[in-house]
Amino acid sequence: MTSEGFKRHGSNSYVAQFAENEREILINLAEQIIELLAERVDHGHEDPLAAMVGITTHDAPPEDEVLHRLLPNAYQDQVDSAEFRRYTESTLRNKKQAHAMAMRMYLKSAKDGTVDLDHDSANAWLGAVNDIRLALGVRLNVQERTSDELELLAPDDPLRGVYIVYGWLGWLQEGLLAALMDES
Amino acid sequence: MVKTDTQIEEQIRAIFSGDTPWVTIVWDDPVNLMTYVTYVLMELFGFSKEKAHELMMKIHTEGKAIVSTGSREEMEHDVARLHEYGLWATLQRGDQAL
Repeated sequence: MTSEGFKRHGSNSYVAQFAENEREILINLAEQIIELLAERVDHGHEDPLAAMVGITTHDAPPEDEVLHRLLPNAYQDQVDSAEFRRYTESTLRNKKQAHAMAMRMYLKSAKDGTVDLDHDSANAWLGAVNDIRLALGVRLNVQERTSDELELLAPDDPLRGVYIVYGWLGWLQEGLLAALMDES
Repeated sequence: MVKTDTQIEEQIRAIFSGDTPWVTIVWDDPVNLMTYVTYVLMELFGFSKEKAHELMMKIHTEGKAIVSTGSREEMEHDVARLHEYGLWATLQRGDQAL
């Protein structure tokens, strides 16, 4: 990983340059999020009006652990949660997909690997990078494992690579946050 | 948490108006970076950096914190926006909270 991360340029410009392999990894991860969210399709809409206003056929939380973390319950109560999900989940999915698509678009059109974000697109990036980290976090089981345990993953453990990318994304996110919160 | 006078006043007013306030709670999550949680709270709620940092520390050390109070509809809106940015948030009636 060779990028120096995001730096602030002027009042509303956050710039990073990515090496080709970094760009490919980020595009690939953004696409995985887009596809994962697309798997949660609404099927069998009998009421086109309901579909139009965003009411989904889902009221149960996703069985897939990653999807469940991306689309969590809004209430601790199951009944209230199901009701809320029915009216809001498709909107949430669309917003998350839009964040990942924006990130993908910026990377695809980056000249010499340079990405130049404004405040709004930086927020979309933050959301997308965070969703990717949430997804990888579930795979790494960060809920149960300490960072010491993760640091000690064997070089041949397939999760080792996941952990390295997870850490790098956290570093990238920190840099963008520092650039955004820099009041000077 | 020590309640501020304003918070207590808001709750008393809500009780007398017969309108029990609802609350939005953000839960601690091992993935979300502390700086990220602070930033999202600033962006979504317009909190100062100090206020957002204080709430983030409460979430981090106590496992959860109330980040907003209001009607049920308002809290559903807040939870949806927090979910959009990957924070682990739920809403509930204020009199059942914490």
